[in-house]
Amino acid sequence: MAALSPSFAYAAESGGAAQGTWGALVFYIINFALFVGILVKYLLPAGKHFFVERAAGIRDTMSKADRAFHEAQELANQAAEKLARLEAEKARLASDLADETVYQIGRIYDQAQEAAGRIKRDHELSIAALREDASRRVREALAHAAARLAFRMIAADFSAADQQRLVGAFVDRLSAEARR
Amino acid sequence: MKTSKVAKRYARALMGLSADHAQLEKWGAELERLAKIVDAPETVGILDMPTVTLQARVEAVGKIAERLDLSYPVRAFAIVAARHSRIREISAMAERYGRMLDDLLGRTRATITFAREPGANELQSVVAALEAIAQKRVIATTRIDGALVGGAVAELEGKIYDGSLATRLAEAEKLLGG
Repeated sequence: MAALSPSFAYAAESGGAAQGTWGALVFYIINFALFVGILVKYLLPAGKHFFVERAAGIRDTMSKADRAFHEAQELANQAAEKLARLEAEKARLASDLADETVYQIGRIYDQAQEAAGRIKRDHELSIAALREDASRRVREALAHAAARLAFRMIAADFSAADQQRLVGAFVDRLSAEARR
Repeated sequence: MKTSKVAKRYARALMGLSADHAQLEKWGAELERLAKIVDAPETVGILDMPTVTLQARVEAVGKIAERLDLSYPVRAFAIVAARHSRIREISAMAERYGRMLDDLLGRTRATITFAREPGANELQSVVAALEAIAQKRVIATTRIDGALVGGAVAELEGKIYDGSLATRLAEAEKLLGG
């Protein structure tokens, strides 16, 4: 209405006769009013609706974006947390592995030491047994040879008097047995 | 074990037939002679043949007893043993009879092995020593074994008394051998 004021003013002051008529002005005004009415009747609700929807859509999008941002941030936090845990796990595994390795090395070393000791002891025993066996065989061979030699010497030189003496000794032994 | 019991039973039966020690001793000697013949491989071979009947075996034992001129009780004893299929156990019976007789007469038996033929004194002294151990009269059986080298070995009532040089040498060898 304010926009139309100059026209009203122009019309009140009767304007320039050569420039137009009141009818044209009214026509224009009615025309304009119709135009504005149509705009208000059809375009304004549609525009209003459009902008309301647009605003709702933007708000929704912003909300979604905000949610997505929060979720992304949450995921990022979780990922960072997992990464931190993974690092700790990795460090723990590395430590465990190092401990196990040290333990296994120690165990293998102990077993090797024990096996070496056992082998050494076995060898010492085997050597001692072999030495003892060889010594015994030599003693037996010598004893056998000595006995054979003694046997031959005695048999070659054995007399009736020797037999008598031996039988006498045997009788003495039997008598001692009888006295027991 | 069964044979031993049978032999003991038969020996006791024969021994119960007389109280005369001399007669019992005579029967013992006859029984030993019979056992030697019955145990000879030739006799065993014939008596063990499956084709020989029991009657034939009894008759064969009777003839052996007759040939050996055994006294009537021993002859009858042999026939009874044959009739009961105990011919193979006659030697065990004789051995058992001998032991029972030895017990009855208070004597025992010993086997003395010398390295050389012993003199009468040597044998007598060894027997006397064995009698002192057994506290019984000893009937000795002597043997000669040159492998003993010197000395003697006596076996009395299952125990060995070794006084041989061979054993002493073996002991010395064992001692030297460690």
